[in-house]
Amino acid sequence: MADGRQKLAENPFYILGIDVGAARVAIEREGQKLLGMLELGLSQARTFSTPLGIFSRDADQVRWAMSELRDPARRLGHELWASLPAAPLAEVGEAVPADAAGWPEARRALGWKAR
Amino acid sequence: MTAAYVGIDLGTTNSACAVFDGQTVTLVRNGQGAPLTPSVVRIDARGLVTVGARARRFLDSDAANTRAEFKRLMGTGQALDFPAAKLQRKPEELSAEVLKSLRADVADQLGFQPKRAVISVPALFELPQAAATSEAARLAGFTQVELIQEPVASALAAGWSAAESRGHWLVYDLGGGTFDVSLLETQDGLLRVVGHDGDNFLGGRDFDWVIVDHVLAELGRDGHVLSRAEPRHAAAVRKLKQAAEEAKLELGRAEQAGIVVPALDVDGKTFDVDVVLSRTMLEGLCRPLIDRSLAVCQRLLSRHHITPGQLERVVLVGGPTVMPVVRREVKSSLEAPLAEGLDPMTLVAEGASIYAATSGLDARPKTIAPVLGRRLWLQYPAMSSDLTPHVVGRLLADGQGPVPATLRLERGDDLWQSPEVAIDGEGGFVLTVELGPRRPNVFRLRARAADGSDVVVDPATITIVQGLTVSDPPLSRSVGVALANDHVRVYFERGAPLPARRTFVHHTVESVAQGSSDSLLRIPIVQGELEAAHLCRVVGAIELGGDRIVASLPAGSPVELTIEIDRGGRLAARALVPSSGQVFEQVATLLVPEASVDVLAANLELLRRRLGELRTDAFRRQQKASIDRLSGLERQLEEAAADTQAARGGDEDAAQKARRTLLEVDALLEEVEADKHWPELEAQARERLAFAASCVGDRGSPAEQRLLGEATLAVERARAARDALDLERQLRVVSQLSNAAYYRDPAAWEWAFERAASDVGAATDLVKAETLVREGRALMARKDDAGLKRVVEELWRLLPADPALRRRGHDSGVR
Repeated sequence: MADGRQKLAENPFYILGIDVGAARVAIEREGQKLLGMLELGLSQARTFSTPLGIFSRDADQVRWAMSELRDPARRLGHELWASLPAAPLAEVGEAVPADAAGWPEARRALGWKAR
Repeated sequence: MTAAYVGIDLGTTNSACAVFDGQTVTLVRNGQGAPLTPSVVRIDARGLVTVGARARRFLDSDAANTRAEFKRLMGTGQALDFPAAKLQRKPEELSAEVLKSLRADVADQLGFQPKRAVISVPALFELPQAAATSEAARLAGFTQVELIQEPVASALAAGWSAAESRGHWLVYDLGGGTFDVSLLETQDGLLRVVGHDGDNFLGGRDFDWVIVDHVLAELGRDGHVLSRAEPRHAAAVRKLKQAAEEAKLELGRAEQAGIVVPALDVDGKTFDVDVVLSRTMLEGLCRPLIDRSLAVCQRLLSRHHITPGQLERVVLVGGPTVMPVVRREVKSSLEAPLAEGLDPMTLVAEGASIYAATSGLDARPKTIAPVLGRRLWLQYPAMSSDLTPHVVGRLLADGQGPVPATLRLERGDDLWQSPEVAIDGEGGFVLTVELGPRRPNVFRLRARAADGSDVVVDPATITIVQGLTVSDPPLSRSVGVALANDHVRVYFERGAPLPARRTFVHHTVESVAQGSSDSLLRIPIVQGELEAAHLCRVVGAIELGGDRIVASLPAGSPVELTIEIDRGGRLAARALVPSSGQVFEQVATLLVPEASVDVLAANLELLRRRLGELRTDAFRRQQKASIDRLSGLERQLEEAAADTQAARGGDEDAAQKARRTLLEVDALLEEVEADKHWPELEAQARERLAFAASCVGDRGSPAEQRLLGEATLAVERARAARDALDLERQLRVVSQLSNAAYYRDPAAWEWAFERAASDVGAATDLVKAETLVREGRALMARKDDAGLKRVVEELWRLLPADPALRRRGHDSGVR
């Protein structure tokens, strides 16, 4: 799976099924609930939805997602991916259109002078 | 008692045990009425085992049959002799004796032998050491044990007794044999470990040794030659160490203390030792050790971008922290108040008992009561920082009486009850409960059948304690697999939450012939932070021997490796060979490597030479920062030399300390070498960013472009801080982004193919490689990019590993 697609399919907010703005206590509560449901084998907890479709969920993923969102710096990165508007999601991953506009200003934005 | 959660601090010098009932922590007193049991074991000529203060009394008079400080040898497999009984015991067996003694103390106090407990281990314990601790618990009769890192336990105990607080804390834990420092954060009642650092071989014992070395120097001036390296002086040195320890304690209150040993017998001559030590002298002697610990604290804080003044408080743990100089220096250097009113000697055991509640490890024997009513399987936190956690459950098929359709919970104080929820088609239900703060909350379960009649359910009640809890413990050092190119495939980064499990596919670098006992493929599992495998410590290995495999394995065969680490840091690994379906699960060497004195001496010499060369170079280039770092390393090498000498005198602990110091110096020299190449690294950074800007700019998605922007900022930060390791780490992120974009260019795989094809003469399977090259050319002509990618990846697997790199990479047989 390409990096971009992976970042969406494995986004902690989608794994836990919570909003990007969720408070820390809500994240822990939801995570604990999912861990309990997975332990009991309840089917409702076995899948989660993402803009790329439905994926299966396990306890390792839930624990990882909780820990990612506890760290403020790492949470920020995941928020970025989880808050991408619906339209650009199609661009993410392997199928970047050949005629994509790209980012012509990249070099300048990253500090290089025009040749 | 509603519950009994047992926590044990299995210390280097002393051990302690505490019991938490959901509200109060009580220390368990031993047979002598003391809360601390010395971690000392004696086995006499009859084979009788004595533990604790009674054994400690024989440390001097019967040193050969009395052992202390064996915790420092945990995981080494080094058996210790008890000549009177003609027995040998491993460190974990001796630890088991201490644990048995503590279990008996709990039984005396509570009336039952605990079966479940939480045992603390230093945060920087390596995986083999954690495994040895679990084994000790099993030998002591515990059936279920979780390990907790000592600083987490201390913070949990300090947080439990503190008023509501939030912010960053530092736990400064100077034990008898190890130093741990942990940065923690509390928010909304949840304690999170932000990071760890420490020194596995710095402790109160080293404070005693600097005093002993001082006394030895004084005696030398008077013409009495005594050496720690001389086995026949061991008994005299032991007496001096005991006197040094007593003087150190006395100087906590007095300004002066005498180190007095009457009639010390050395080489057949007897003389009295009477050396006066002032508090100022003691502080001068100990300052380098305190500075060493404070440097570790500063390193941890700066890694997490926290300045000392930002700390809410510092929790001091361990006997040596009662020394006034330690308290003063820590307070002033870290610019933070010290948490007051806590006992540094028992805090770890108290925290471990609270953690046992978090893990639901009730130590009371489980009674098998007849099931009354319909049986429910419930999942809920035994302890929760959340005031409104969930209780999740499922109705089981067995049990008696009508089937419940709805369920609700009533709190024991009758001040709250949940709404009634329906049980779904699978028998599942989720309830949200409301907890009273900082106390155990008992809830009654009330169920009703579809016709509204009451249904008896089992269990009828549950208890949830509200209070500070800790998130999943983090891994103290990264764990990965050493590869044949001397790199490490990281499975879990430092800080990854435990438990953790990951699987990666590796490829063999040579063939393994079925039936051949000479043919062996090794997959070393390593722990450490550096990219080079030889700088990380091997903590285990899986070996695929020709005599065990069911079918020969050609070079380039895939091997699926799964590594799993539980909450206590215990490691398990499993290698699956997909071609035969065979599974290898036995981790071959789960031991801290032995430290032979000759090997230590040779390594010491090698590192001295390297250090000398680097120092000459640093002087020539006038690099002051490097010169300063090298001076520090020189001091560490001197310590390693002294420890190697002590190891010659039979001190196995000193040998282990020397081994670790040399490994650390090796890694730090590597950093200085990296620093020497800083200009090249900076040039590399510029090149990689330019390449990334071009690739990601042309072919990256908007999200990748944004991430590259963030990575560029991180690279700039690392450049500004002149942090070579961080810069390398950030450049790896940049490379990942640019590679993802680069390989979207159809021509990229054609270039990679041409490069691989040019090396085909060296392939491990020439016939297969040449077939692949022919196939690749045909695919290129057909513009089949996906097929070409597959061919290139297969070709890469057939190219041989460099033998020198492979040797450095712990003889790894995989890439």
